[in-house]
Amino acid sequence: MLWTIVEKEFKFILTSPKFFATFLVCSMLILLSFFVGIQEYRATVAQFETGQTMNQQSLRERTTWSGATNRIYRQPDPLQIIVLGVNYDVGRFSPINVWMPVKLLESAYSQELIYAVFRLLDFNFIVVVVLSLFAILFTYDAINGERESGTLKLTLANAVPKSTLIVAKLIGSWIGLVVPLLIPLLLGALLLMVYQIPLSTDHWIRLLCLLGLAILYFTFFMTLGLLVSSLTQRSVTSFMVLLVSWIILTLIVPRAAIMIAGQIVQVPSAAEIDSQIDGYSKSEWEKYRDGIQKTWERRNNELEQVPEKEREVYREQKLWSWLEEDDAARKTMQEGVARYSKQVKEDMENRKLQQVKTGFVLSRFSPASAFQLAAMNLAETDIFIKKRYEQALNDYHVVYSDFIQKKSKEGGGEGLRITVDSEKGFNVQIPDMKKTIRADEIPQFQHPKRNTGDVIADLMMDAALLVVFSGMVLVGVLTAFLRYDVR
Amino acid sequence: MFKIILLKEMRETIGSAKFVFSFSVCTVLILLAFYVGARNYQVNRAQYEASVRENLRQMEGLTDWGQVESQIFLPPTPLAALISGLSNDVGRSIKVEAVGELISENSRYGEDPIYAVFRFLDLEFVFQVVLSLFAILLAYNAVNGEKEQGTLKLTFANAVPKDRYILAKLSGVFASVVVPMLLPILIGCGILVIMDIPMNGSEWLRLAMIVVAGLLFFMVFLNLSIFVSAKTERSSYSFLILLIAWIFFVLIVPRTSILLAGRAIDVPSIDEIHAQKFRNQSQLWTEDMQKIDAFVPPSNDPEKAFAAFNTFMNTTRETRETKIAEFNQRLNEDRNNRQAVQREWAFGIARFSPATSLSLAVMSLAGTSHAIAQQFLDQARSYQQSFAQFIKSKNNGETGGHMVRVKIGGAPQEKAKPINPYEIPAFHFQSMSVGEYITPALTDIGLLIGFNLMFFAGAVWAFSKFDVR
Amino acid sequence: MTPMLEAKNLTKRYEDQTLALDRVSFSVLPGQIYAMLGGNGAGKTTTINIFLNFINPTDGEALVDGIVTHLQPLAAKTKIAFVSENVMLYPNFTAIENLEYFTKLAGKRYVKKDLESVLSRVGLQKEAFDRKLKGFSKGMRQKCGIAIAILKDAPAIILDEPTSGLDPKAGFEFMKLLMELREEQKAILMSTHDIFRAKENSDVVGIMNQGQLVMQRTQKELEGEDLEKLYVQFMAGYMEPVSA
Repeated sequence: MLWTIVEKEFKFILTSPKFFATFLVCSMLILLSFFVGIQEYRATVAQFETGQTMNQQSLRERTTWSGATNRIYRQPDPLQIIVLGVNYDVGRFSPINVWMPVKLLESAYSQELIYAVFRLLDFNFIVVVVLSLFAILFTYDAINGERESGTLKLTLANAVPKSTLIVAKLIGSWIGLVVPLLIPLLLGALLLMVYQIPLSTDHWIRLLCLLGLAILYFTFFMTLGLLVSSLTQRSVTSFMVLLVSWIILTLIVPRAAIMIAGQIVQVPSAAEIDSQIDGYSKSEWEKYRDGIQKTWERRNNELEQVPEKEREVYREQKLWSWLEEDDAARKTMQEGVARYSKQVKEDMENRKLQQVKTGFVLSRFSPASAFQLAAMNLAETDIFIKKRYEQALNDYHVVYSDFIQKKSKEGGGEGLRITVDSEKGFNVQIPDMKKTIRADEIPQFQHPKRNTGDVIADLMMDAALLVVFSGMVLVGVLTAFLRYDVR
Repeated sequence: MFKIILLKEMRETIGSAKFVFSFSVCTVLILLAFYVGARNYQVNRAQYEASVRENLRQMEGLTDWGQVESQIFLPPTPLAALISGLSNDVGRSIKVEAVGELISENSRYGEDPIYAVFRFLDLEFVFQVVLSLFAILLAYNAVNGEKEQGTLKLTFANAVPKDRYILAKLSGVFASVVVPMLLPILIGCGILVIMDIPMNGSEWLRLAMIVVAGLLFFMVFLNLSIFVSAKTERSSYSFLILLIAWIFFVLIVPRTSILLAGRAIDVPSIDEIHAQKFRNQSQLWTEDMQKIDAFVPPSNDPEKAFAAFNTFMNTTRETRETKIAEFNQRLNEDRNNRQAVQREWAFGIARFSPATSLSLAVMSLAGTSHAIAQQFLDQARSYQQSFAQFIKSKNNGETGGHMVRVKIGGAPQEKAKPINPYEIPAFHFQSMSVGEYITPALTDIGLLIGFNLMFFAGAVWAFSKFDVR
Repeated sequence: MTPMLEAKNLTKRYEDQTLALDRVSFSVLPGQIYAMLGGNGAGKTTTINIFLNFINPTDGEALVDGIVTHLQPLAAKTKIAFVSENVMLYPNFTAIENLEYFTKLAGKRYVKKDLESVLSRVGLQKEAFDRKLKGFSKGMRQKCGIAIAILKDAPAIILDEPTSGLDPKAGFEFMKLLMELREEQKAILMSTHDIFRAKENSDVVGIMNQGQLVMQRTQKELEGEDLEKLYVQFMAGYMEPVSA
């Protein structure tokens, strides 16, 4: 019985114009999204590689270690083809040097504004916006449409339990939407292979998870369609109700939630924080310079004590330890600045995290956000990518600074040393310009990659949420249809 | 005759459930967009002011003008809160030193990617996505629906000319749908006034034009719907066709054409530009090092020698910086030109969709188009000059640099006096004249009118061939 | 003989308190055609809806082969075939596909040849068998509907104004089929506006007005009477006691 109806539903959908339209549009859009995604990925990889090469080149041309600025670029991940997420919104690289805290700079969108106008077109977008609309299109008249056309009466004049009918309808239309989804997806996967996108087993596992999520996501909209269809008498009404629900769930709730969160938890702007850090850093520098001035005055006084003849020798003896003292003082000062900066930034980060969490909790009232957040997690293009990179960069910053400090001790400094001495006259020392540094000695940066197991574990919440959403609606459908007036 | 049909059309539309439905949803969304925009503006304004204050405060206690670098900020505008456009993608602050290249950083989306995930609920979004969908909903069965009901036959059993009928129908739908939409918009403007959002005459005018563009766009979809409705036999078909047309026009065409056309045009990546700049800079630096090495002081008196060296260093430095600036300028201009070509192509193709025209028009009008990045940078450059002048005047004609001077022996130095950062010239972002905002939008508004006329003509033509049986 | 279809004191009061059926009782025996006459809103369709458990009765019960429809709706429905006033089938399926589906729902399995022979029997042209239902006229759809009813092979057949809107020839053929089904000992309950055919072909005629069964006579009792006159009379409010 069940399968008779499922078969009929499936056949009915297959022969309907809306299936034809859906299949065509879905296939086109999914393939298009893969194609566009692949183009974007390759552009990103090309940029990443140029960036790295240029960075290597600049480093190789350097003659001294001190002051060497390394640039760490975020490594593109092929999953951005499917879920671009905030990949283009977050800075692409951070300069790494001794005197500056890490900061991701120059996001792709801020540098190429043209792409920011309409933003992305990835598979994730197609699923969130287009597939959900089609899911509604498939089921909005499942019940009341049959009532309007009169076939519902004829069907229920037979010994068909209503629950069987509704479940069969769900399964039938579900298969009817999975097919138009799977065929272009397989072609898309083929496209990925043809273009030789480097996908590891982990990537494929994540893609499968994403597919599962996408199916859960549009199942929700199908059940929602059934629910409204069995709550209303006319299919025109149910479509209107569904369209508005769709607008609210996919377009309004996520945006509104984040904005409300922004109002609830306020975070100072980055520029404000930067100014604060700069201010602290400058005052520390000033203190340091005053200190150095005083120290040298003291040392000079010390010199005065020494008989004039021995003065030069004494000075020569002391000079190195003096310079080391100065260096140590500078290092302490710089560490102090770094600590302060870290503290202030951490405070802000915590506030921000609070804000994000609030926003996400609120937005998860909509399955569209639940899906999108989960998808971004899977592809590691979520908003925490910034945090992950900043953490990794901070760790690297420590290693790098130590390395540079060690190296600069071995080699000379980069700056000019100008001494004007009443005895020896004017003297300029410039660094050796012939010998370049060996850039390949620079410690390697480990790009933060999340463990697939962890990612999938994180996913469970959203997946469960989607299941709960659909389950709730399904219960609603069953109760509504059991009470449905079939006349 | 015309009036009878017009009035009937208006009564029918306004009385229909779908009108009540979509009108109330639109009202809520438009009001929300205005309210949220106003709130956002207030928050952004407060943050902006705090940043400006903090920037000056952090300089208090400094004693050396040569160490001063100032940060300037792009101020928020009320229209940017209503039509966010690219205002969240461009860097909003620039560090200004007396010399050196200016780079804007701290874009809102870059700093708070959370907002980038779902973006903002602004007026453009309501116009572009929601209103267009409702236009379809309201008019998809304008013609074929009457046929299905059987009322079309009855109407044409009377001496009604077809062209008169379709004209009345179109104007009826417009009058009953477009006019009510003005109501929430007016209330929205009221919200701006009540919440004390400072809007000048130029901004009100531009807001009015934004609304006009939005309504024109809405009418494009009304016309399109009536056209499709007159071209198909059954309303379920016309709805399906229109929904797909909507998906393509609003969601797909703009994105795809920009992504594909944009990538097809070669623009040197920012990293290449950086690397070239860097290479040039280090080469000049190396050359200067040789010069410095060869420097021979005119006298051996330490004070005089140092003074001479200082002057020498300053000149060298300034020459170098000028060269660097020229070189960078050339590279930037080249990239800008290429980007302009890229824009022309990509936007040109994307304009096949009226949604693109709407976006571009309202962004230009709101002053949140791509032009804002350049405008900010240009103004920052001219500010940099006055800043440099100021620093020089304070710093014995030197632009400063990162030199640490240690003097051993001689007379003890007197303690340096702290600077007064509030003397630094303030940066005022100059908004453009009304004309400069409106002119670039005219093409797109023209295009919207064109789309309207095209679909309107299509509707009249299709109806003249419509089989009323 | 036990009645196949039986209404016992059927009463239906809607939520808005309108009384759609008021203690209606009648029965249909196997091999009998029962014709229900009455104006629009008289309660004919409500009666049928209760038999099909599309709605529950407020009071009383409808029985199919002794099974109370609102208590065991599924069991009852295995014994009823239903033809509606305007048979609507899936427009993008062919006649055969529609038949296949609905007979499967009825729990029957037929090969295509059987389906075709029944379609021929109900008088559908051969060319139409594999055409989609989209272009079918009302008469053709009614034929498919009766074919589905025949194929279900249920002991009871309920028809809701099956001949309204059919041309005279089609109506005649339709009634001929019903007579054949009567020969097969089916119990047939039919609502109709067609006074002439009701008198001609049915075994019992009931007249309903404002939710009440105001008259019920066998064919024998009607012999020589002018049914049309009676109808107008009863519809005007005249009433005679009816016993099941």
